[in-house]
Amino acid sequence: MPVWQVIYEELQAENPNFEIVSFAQDSGGETDAGPIFDAANATYTSVIDANHTISALYNLVNVPSAVWIDEEGKIVRINEGTYAKNHGAFGTDEYVPIVRDWVANGADSPYVWDTETVSEKIFQRTPEAERAQPTFRLGTYFFASGDEVKAEQYWDMAQELDPTSWNYLRQDIMYEDGGSAGPEWRARRDAVEGAGGTYYAPLDIEPVPNNDR
Amino acid sequence: MKTSARVVLALASIFFSCLTFAQSATVLYNERVVVIDEVLPDASDLWVKPEDLTRINDFELKPQGACLDELCIPVLQDRDSDMFVTRQDQGWFNVTELANILQQSWVADYGAGVWSFGGMPVERRAFFQSAEAPDFLLPDRDGNLVSLSDFAGKQLLLLTWASW
Repeated sequence: MPVWQVIYEELQAENPNFEIVSFAQDSGGETDAGPIFDAANATYTSVIDANHTISALYNLVNVPSAVWIDEEGKIVRINEGTYAKNHGAFGTDEYVPIVRDWVANGADSPYVWDTETVSEKIFQRTPEAERAQPTFRLGTYFFASGDEVKAEQYWDMAQELDPTSWNYLRQDIMYEDGGSAGPEWRARRDAVEGAGGTYYAPLDIEPVPNNDR
Repeated sequence: MKTSARVVLALASIFFSCLTFAQSATVLYNERVVVIDEVLPDASDLWVKPEDLTRINDFELKPQGACLDELCIPVLQDRDSDMFVTRQDQGWFNVTELANILQQSWVADYGAGVWSFGGMPVERRAFFQSAEAPDFLLPDRDGNLVSLSDFAGKQLLLLTWASW
């Protein structure tokens, strides 16, 4: 978070047309996410998305994730596990340079994808997984109303409907013994990675040759 | 009074109390939490007055049907159907039936009278087919509503993260 603020200031100075909007996927609302935004001194648009609406809308299954949207409202990159820097155990230094390239070169950046590539990169959900969204939303409603039994019931149901969503799993177990990065999360992650899957949607930072967009 | 007559009377009183006692509902759609004062009692579906339909999902009941912008789903209003019924001169619209037609997923907690609707696939067609960024409307931390159109003409990096 603090790293994105530094990058935001750098890139805005270079190109005032560049903007960041940051959505905290936090059902605990301001209590959970607010202090982190505050500590980052975020001056970009900061939203606390208690219902995980943005992840539902853009088919994102984990955090952090990023989407590039151009001046016409077209998506030109999507669904990547993106960190602003390498934090040791996680993160990467490879992502920010391609953002910098995009801000400098716009549609001519070799990191801009065409419509077909974006369509292929959008995560595909099953119809059951689509039903997970209103189910999770219902759980969040009960969570906000203080009914933790019903919150748990619908959050669990959402995870059964959409086992691909790390967001639904980790939001839920954050409030359980072990927390969001405890044994339950570790076991799930190991199982997925052991089967050849990925926890973060992989970065694909190969430049597109002769990008003629 | 005979026992059977008592039973009939008791059943009739339950029946009429259902008819006259207003049931309320809470409807979740996107960021909206819409409290509906009166719904038509039903074991599975959500029936609301036409004006409440608009409060839930912006659809308007017009003579040609239930309409949102250019999209109109035909609704017969001179007779009862799965989508629309008239009871004592009051029209009732079946929101869940509309959702089924739109392939919009929904889930209800009948005990609490809370209904939760997912996104409408029709609104995300351009996302899947032509990479158009889906619009959103959420309040920022200062309470100002933020939508995608606020960033028209900008290069926008949309980020998600979480405290957990």
